[in-house]
Amino acid sequence: MKKHKLFVSVLLLLTLFLAHPLSAKIYIDIRSPSFRKFPIAISTFQSLAPTRGDMQLGERASEILKNDLDLSGFFFLITPPGSIGKESSPAAGDSSPKPGEDRPATAGESLDFQPWANLGAEALVTGALSFRDGSLTMEARLYDVVKKEMIVGKRYIGEITDLSRMVHRFADEIIFALTGEQGFFQTKIIFVSQVGGFKELYLMDFDGRNVLPVTNHKSICLSPRVSPDGTQVVFTSYKFGNPDLFLRNLRTGEEKRIASYPGLNISPAWSPDGKRLALTLSKDGNPEIYTMNPDGTGLTRVTNHPAIDVSPTWSPDGQRIAFVSSRGGNPQIYVMQANGKNVQRLTFEGNYNTHPSWSPRGERIAFDATMGGGRNICLMNSDGSDLRILTANMGQCEMPSWSPDGRHLVFSATRDGEPRIFLMNAEGTRIKRLTFQKGSDTYPYWIRRRREIGR
Amino acid sequence: MVKKSSWMLVILISIVAVSFLAAGCAKKSVVKEEVAGRPAPAVEAKKAEPPPRPVAPPKAEPAPPPPPAPAPKVEAAPPKAVAAIDLAALRIQFAFDDYSLSSQAKENLEKLAGWMKEAGTAKIQVEGHACEIGTNEYNLALGERRANSAKTYLEGLGIGSGRLSTISYGEERPLDPGHTEASRSKNRRAEFVMTK
Repeated sequence: MKKHKLFVSVLLLLTLFLAHPLSAKIYIDIRSPSFRKFPIAISTFQSLAPTRGDMQLGERASEILKNDLDLSGFFFLITPPGSIGKESSPAAGDSSPKPGEDRPATAGESLDFQPWANLGAEALVTGALSFRDGSLTMEARLYDVVKKEMIVGKRYIGEITDLSRMVHRFADEIIFALTGEQGFFQTKIIFVSQVGGFKELYLMDFDGRNVLPVTNHKSICLSPRVSPDGTQVVFTSYKFGNPDLFLRNLRTGEEKRIASYPGLNISPAWSPDGKRLALTLSKDGNPEIYTMNPDGTGLTRVTNHPAIDVSPTWSPDGQRIAFVSSRGGNPQIYVMQANGKNVQRLTFEGNYNTHPSWSPRGERIAFDATMGGGRNICLMNSDGSDLRILTANMGQCEMPSWSPDGRHLVFSATRDGEPRIFLMNAEGTRIKRLTFQKGSDTYPYWIRRRREIGR
Repeated sequence: MVKKSSWMLVILISIVAVSFLAAGCAKKSVVKEEVAGRPAPAVEAKKAEPPPRPVAPPKAEPAPPPPPAPAPKVEAAPPKAVAAIDLAALRIQFAFDDYSLSSQAKENLEKLAGWMKEAGTAKIQVEGHACEIGTNEYNLALGERRANSAKTYLEGLGIGSGRLSTISYGEERPLDPGHTEASRSKNRRAEFVMTK
């Protein structure tokens, strides 16, 4: 392991030294208000592998990559017409060893950028896949079409089932190389599904692929929230009859009950440093917000009001907690210091505002509300100003959760009948359905931990 | 120009060659690492779990009020035939986002209390439910409020708190799975279940 680290850092040094003038350029200033979508072309990845399903591996890889880059909202995708990407294809030319020829992988050697430039592309992605002896290899490169230079090139080796993971990883490389920010294509979403009759926790990739079961409580599991380091999930389950809180290690499957007081043990939320949990207990007569250590010790009561107090969410600096309270007569969003002091009401419109989710970028809170003619996802600044309704005509939209970069939201909606998980950007556009199982899918929580590029 | 670009090419080739060489090894281990890091699906860590507790633990009241005077007499009496009761028919309904008892609800609770006095030792769990509007976390709280309203009223009618417990299911167990207002209105309810 140490050896690996050393090797990687030597490589990094080399890369920095040699490629610094290239990689330092920010192609897309995504923080600028005047940023325009960046025209990028993705050639169909060349596949040297046997077919799998009815789609070539190469086609699948380019489809996953296009989907990723499109979802980011940063790009204008240019699809190659039939003529390029085949005969004189940059993808075909640059990486596949021809019979009897054993040359090293090179960049741009036989690449003709002109057809791509003519299409208006400023960047180009090429790739090739091969599958030999049970091992899948993917090579992918990102080029600056204008300068005719390679910006980043990677080779990934794994199993055939790692294809989407390899593509997501390279998509994150592209985002990092062009914007200087971390992408979210390697992140996962945890959610509650009733696919097997019971309500259990499931994990999936951020784009809805690779759904995996997590729990087997044969009961009702609710409100999964994953620790900031991505290793543990805290959730409510009726496994032993009462709604209790459980902590489960996502790697080992080890599980323990961390709160089982009489009444409700619900709505957990990790502090941003992962050291405390905010939660709701009704052991003292009515639902109040408490904080405690993740092992269940160190319980501290935070709210003290005869009305319902529930659904806490922490500010990214861990100093404040937003929550739902019925103290004004119906459920509204409030904010307080993490010690319970200085409670302020944030929402005054609508009579049913619940499930606040504080953006990891700090300045905004998403929640669900009866506004705009039904249950919809809303967004406001963390001081309550600039309230906006993001969804429309999607049935009951509930339970928003932020992407790690604070640019997207996942939520559940009954647009197509039963509740399903949907993804959209924080402007309420580019809506995409993620789940297609039987039964209802609810409580999406976007896992914040991500594998970062360049670290 | 030609010279410059061929220079660039040499640099690029070396970057790529080195990157691929290293990336080849590094990525291989990275991908494998991730595979190992997958959550073990559906693996129950039975050993780590605390022993199960009874399905319906009696609610721990700080100071349960003394049982009403006639109650011990009834309990002490020899078992007599108690009329069967349809607990489902006694379920009580609530208004939207409300946990106050209607006059109909009070009437049902009075019937239930009367029967419980007759039945002597029967224990009842009050289940609080909510409609699908709003997030379940709030509805769990609302369901508990509804169950507590019923429990408090029964206690006021002389039923000992030791014979009563509550649980909230929020919107998780709808009586009517429909999504119309008629269905939702049916689901805002408290139900009564006999416990041991």
